[in-house]
Amino acid sequence: MGKEFEFFEHTADIGVRIYAQSIEELFENSARALFSLITGNRDILPNLEKEIILEAQNIEELLVNWLNELISVFFTYKFLPKSYNIRIKEKDPYKLEALLKGSEYDPYINEVKTEVKAATYHNLKIEKTPGGYKAEVIFDV
Amino acid sequence: MWEGLIEKITDYKWRIPKSYKPGMRVEGVIYASEKMLSQIKKDNAPEQVANVAFLPGIVKYSLAMPDIHWGYGFCIGGVAATDPEEGGVISPGGVGFDINCGVRLLKTNLELGDVKDKISKIVDVLYQNVPSGVGSRGQIRVSNQEERRLLLEGARWAVKKGFGIGEDLEVCEERGSIEGADPDSVSERAYERGKQQAGTLGSGNHFLEVQVVDDIYDREVAEKLGLFIGQITVMIHSGSRGFGYQVCDDYVRVMIKCLDKYNIRVPDRQLACAPINSPEAKNYIGAMKSAANYAWANRQVLMHLVRESFEKVFSKSWQSLGMYLIYDVAHNIAKFEKYIIDGQEKVLCVHRKGATRAFGPGHKELPEKYKDMGQPVIIPGDMGRASYLLVGTKKAEEESFSSTCHGAGRLKSRHEAIRTGDFNTLIKELSSKGIEVRATGKKTVLEEAPSAYKNVDEVAEVVCKAGLSKKVCRMKPLCVVKG
Repeated sequence: MGKEFEFFEHTADIGVRIYAQSIEELFENSARALFSLITGNRDILPNLEKEIILEAQNIEELLVNWLNELISVFFTYKFLPKSYNIRIKEKDPYKLEALLKGSEYDPYINEVKTEVKAATYHNLKIEKTPGGYKAEVIFDV
Repeated sequence: MWEGLIEKITDYKWRIPKSYKPGMRVEGVIYASEKMLSQIKKDNAPEQVANVAFLPGIVKYSLAMPDIHWGYGFCIGGVAATDPEEGGVISPGGVGFDINCGVRLLKTNLELGDVKDKISKIVDVLYQNVPSGVGSRGQIRVSNQEERRLLLEGARWAVKKGFGIGEDLEVCEERGSIEGADPDSVSERAYERGKQQAGTLGSGNHFLEVQVVDDIYDREVAEKLGLFIGQITVMIHSGSRGFGYQVCDDYVRVMIKCLDKYNIRVPDRQLACAPINSPEAKNYIGAMKSAANYAWANRQVLMHLVRESFEKVFSKSWQSLGMYLIYDVAHNIAKFEKYIIDGQEKVLCVHRKGATRAFGPGHKELPEKYKDMGQPVIIPGDMGRASYLLVGTKKAEEESFSSTCHGAGRLKSRHEAIRTGDFNTLIKELSSKGIEVRATGKKTVLEEAPSAYKNVDEVAEVVCKAGLSKKVCRMKPLCVVKG
């Protein structure tokens, strides 16, 4: 498996470049990049499930909504995902259905590395590459 | 490196002409010295000044203060006023995720000699008493109904609950409670997220700092404010925490859709916006004001915890320690203010994204005791150098929609600061200057290293030379609590 994501410099915030073979994997790897910032890689027992359904006007918006939903769910309901079962249907490409498995992770008790405020639309890019997809997102931290 | 077109207007003012980019409705203006400008052009911030000039209904120019740096959508240090009568828009990106992030400054009657041997104790007690860090949880527990009141009343709610006194409110922007907050425009999610974090400092660049006044530039104003050389002051920098982030996220989602609906063309989707008179904007304004009040309540509670900490260290009441509030400013907010445009009085929506309101002497919004001197403007610098107290000017009212800078402004990215810094060396360096730091993580301290910031002396110099503010005094840090 190749590189899933890498971070790049932005003066006030943090940029992440995400690689994937499919669009679903792009969404999954972007979530992994996000939580590598927030909590780092945690070995957790996935004993809880959470369903997320989102719709947007285009794929970029769907990606930003997805990341912001995960940030919001983490800081509000203390849900840290471990695995992501994501479905984006070809005939309905701007709708996402995901079944997340994870566990409760209380950010008010446990270590949080970076308080990511949100994913932004600034310089947001999603490109098709010979190997699949590449995206760039800037997080407000 | 930004290589766009920029022209000199004066030694401290630069223009990006409308012709730079088709679609700009007004020109861009950046306040900076020649030396700072070359630094500013190293990232993409000037392009963002040009992008903001696309906003429908923008009046006169898209402005940037000398602490300008690359943000998302708006640059940090950006100011834009829009006219509701000319199709003017409001953009959540022009306020930012941390709605009403701001600063307050308290004085004390303590002098350097009184605290010199107690710095470690003070910083330890502050660190223990004031919840800080990324996921810090406040000691305040609010029900939904109570949170509603907090959103409507801001710092006034906190005072009613025993956090401070009525006199504190007199010296807050909007008296710590902006009118027009609409808790019904706030999502359930934001309510829930906000409940856990009221009364917490937060992380990143938020801090508490005990300082000493080390230089006075305007003796008359300093005297009126009760400030003198060698005096101890306390600065608090915090905002609306997760509550504000959620409000911003909720409404960026709404306003992205408004771009098509209202046929608005902007070069960056983070500038998503809606006409001020639209239902979407009205809801955002109600929610943004709720978040602004949340932040004012938060800083009021934080100040109370600071006062209690000093009471513990000095075994005296905060009143006998003279811990009175000088002022509280918001530096991420949109406000409706009156200005004369082409001889006509207009109510404009002034976005300040990392910029501070700076009303000049005589402004009717100012508290009676500050009416003849202008509004106090608090400029936090980095933790190794200094911070400033300035006052607003008439010229700022005429030129910059009563706005000035908000801090030193970042120079290095967080990654670069971590990569090029070493924790132990930094702590040693600060300690050789007599500065003690407490933080939940080493990473935050490195990210916030003085070398990651511009020199606040230069930033303050530019806004004063440009006439947007006047220097009152400078404060040097003694100890810092970082999130």
